[in-house]
Amino acid sequence: MTNNGREFYQEFEVFSSKSNGEQVQHQFSLLAPNEEIALVMAQENFMRRQPVADIWVVKRSNVRKMTQEEKGSLQRLDNKEYRTTKGYGYLKKKWRHYEQNILDEKEILSWGGDDKK
Amino acid sequence: MKSAQEAQADPKYKTAVTELLYQLADDDFIIAFRGSEWLGLAPHIEEDVAFSSINQDTMGHAAIYYQLLEALGEGDADALAHDREAGQRKNAILLEEVNGPGHYLKKPLYDWAFAVVRHYFYAQAKKVRIESLKNSSYQPLADAAVKINMELYYHLLHWKTWFTQLVTAKGEAPERMKNAIDKVCEDMEGVLTLGPKGANMAALGLIEEEKLLTQRWHNEMEKVFEPLPISLPPVQAKRGNGREGVHTEDLNSALATLGEVYKQDPVASW
Amino acid sequence: MSTTLSYDRLSEEEKHSQFMERIESGEKIEADDWMPKDYRMTLIKLISMHGISEIMGALPEKEWVPKAPSLRRKLGIMAKVQDEMGHGQLLLRVAEDLMKPMGKTREEIMQDLFRGDLKFHNVFHMPAPTWGDAGLIGWLVDGAAIITQTNMLKASYGPYARALKRICAEEVFHAQHGEAIIMALAEGTEEQRALIQDAIDRWWESLLMFFGPASATTTGTSKQDTTIKYRIRTKTNEELRQAFLDKYIPRVLSLGLTIPDETLHYDKEKQQWVYQQPDWNEFKNIVRNNGPKSKDRLDLRITAYENNAWVREALSPDGAVV
Repeated sequence: MTNNGREFYQEFEVFSSKSNGEQVQHQFSLLAPNEEIALVMAQENFMRRQPVADIWVVKRSNVRKMTQEEKGSLQRLDNKEYRTTKGYGYLKKKWRHYEQNILDEKEILSWGGDDKK
Repeated sequence: MKSAQEAQADPKYKTAVTELLYQLADDDFIIAFRGSEWLGLAPHIEEDVAFSSINQDTMGHAAIYYQLLEALGEGDADALAHDREAGQRKNAILLEEVNGPGHYLKKPLYDWAFAVVRHYFYAQAKKVRIESLKNSSYQPLADAAVKINMELYYHLLHWKTWFTQLVTAKGEAPERMKNAIDKVCEDMEGVLTLGPKGANMAALGLIEEEKLLTQRWHNEMEKVFEPLPISLPPVQAKRGNGREGVHTEDLNSALATLGEVYKQDPVASW
Repeated sequence: MSTTLSYDRLSEEEKHSQFMERIESGEKIEADDWMPKDYRMTLIKLISMHGISEIMGALPEKEWVPKAPSLRRKLGIMAKVQDEMGHGQLLLRVAEDLMKPMGKTREEIMQDLFRGDLKFHNVFHMPAPTWGDAGLIGWLVDGAAIITQTNMLKASYGPYARALKRICAEEVFHAQHGEAIIMALAEGTEEQRALIQDAIDRWWESLLMFFGPASATTTGTSKQDTTIKYRIRTKTNEELRQAFLDKYIPRVLSLGLTIPDETLHYDKEKQQWVYQQPDWNEFKNIVRNNGPKSKDRLDLRITAYENNAWVREALSPDGAVV
């Protein structure tokens, strides 16, 4: 005899993206004997009513999660303005003095837009 | 033919397209019914959910075909689905067969190997037919085929996965699968045939010739069987041709169940 | 986060008080987090019963899936019962992760159910003899389920709250699916109207029982105090029952249907419904698998599970044949 079929219940984490170009997001977990079956279960179990453009299944045992203690390592001080634009806000006033505008996020990210202007 | 109106003006054409639609509708309807009896009884919960989606899709396809028949003046789609005698039904005998011993509410000793093989072989036959119907001379049917085709990818992937895994699995699985393949092949010809009016359908450009479609099905099957340790037995129509209205007792009991509430009051709104 | 210290160095009591601080400040607990044993056991009991009730709850409606009276109804009820199985899947996954440290899997959940150790909701032990019952289950049983489930949407246990969020989104469809069947019957022939009235008469007591006894003194057991303490739910059984009566009695009456309880009335002063208590001894009896359909439904589930054992064995990755 075999193991009673208990090993049939392998754990898989399911990820999916909503549409082409979108990042994948975690959905839920399911039980299946292998990744091929997990893949054909995934959409109908978790995304019956929403559009899906891609699905990933990952064996749970291949996911290295954090322990509760390790989650402590995710905390940090709120003193890192130098990493963000918040630390450089004074430039706005400076540039105004030279009759120029600050190159802020809104301005810079607009440069990638279409060139019609 | 662009519309139901045009088809109705040509009696020969109308007869052929109606016949074809009954086959398509009745096949999908009865296998979706058999599938719906499985609900809650699959090998595991995840599969119950996945299988049910396929049954819903398939019943949805049947509804599309019944609506096309309604447009051709054949009567109300619900009446066509629920209120025709077995002798009027055109589905293949293989698709009406019970899922196994027992009843869906009492001791259902349903056979998962039979479910996998029947659904897989049927899905492949349906895929071949739908590809041909995309070019049907009857435009409403060609339009329907384009839509239905979208959902067949998943059905095929799903059943092919179960099929190839179980055929090559350990334990009693290969033996059970072999028995199921033998059983399905005994009546598979009944699925592949277009019945006595098939030549007419092809002549009118409704669908390609039966011989051609059957060959395509075999070609697809050969690709799947090639790496497997078993081969496909010859397909037969042992119990007769459902396209000619020949059916088994299994269809009668199915019709009694699926029409039970409907027939309490066929004119009422439910 | 209230913790910066190494968890291993904390005493059990310190862990416990940190845990209570976390849930009281609205933090969510995750599967791998430290939790009091009592919390874990309460969740396992609650969620495995909730999950298996979804699975068993598919059975009374399953009867009506192949029989539904039109193409549209057949599709609708297939999708609805599929959702029940899907909800079972979500909830059992949550329960399974909680049981994992104890070496338990879905296999044990199923065996517990078959042995009678894992109970399922009282309503799913009852017969559903007509299409009217199919409508009533979708309308009022699901209505009652929506009331209890939305009460736990903010549960302190993150995985349960996330599963419930998915479930409640689908329950909106279930509520409307049930209402659509009921509306068609209510606006139909005399015979059709009789189908719903009979179903209400048959289900009324079960619906009252659905929320459980008002206090532990009624039946000897009630987990409601523990679940409230741990921020799993917020309202008591009686508050939930009252909310159900508030929402659904006016709807039942508006369709010209009646409720089989002559004493039922709204006490304006106390602002609550006064109703004939159901037979709580019978409730205990039913949930111990002595209800009218308990044995049949368990048999069905056992038959299906055992009959498909070969599939699970064949595909078990380590299931080499000896």
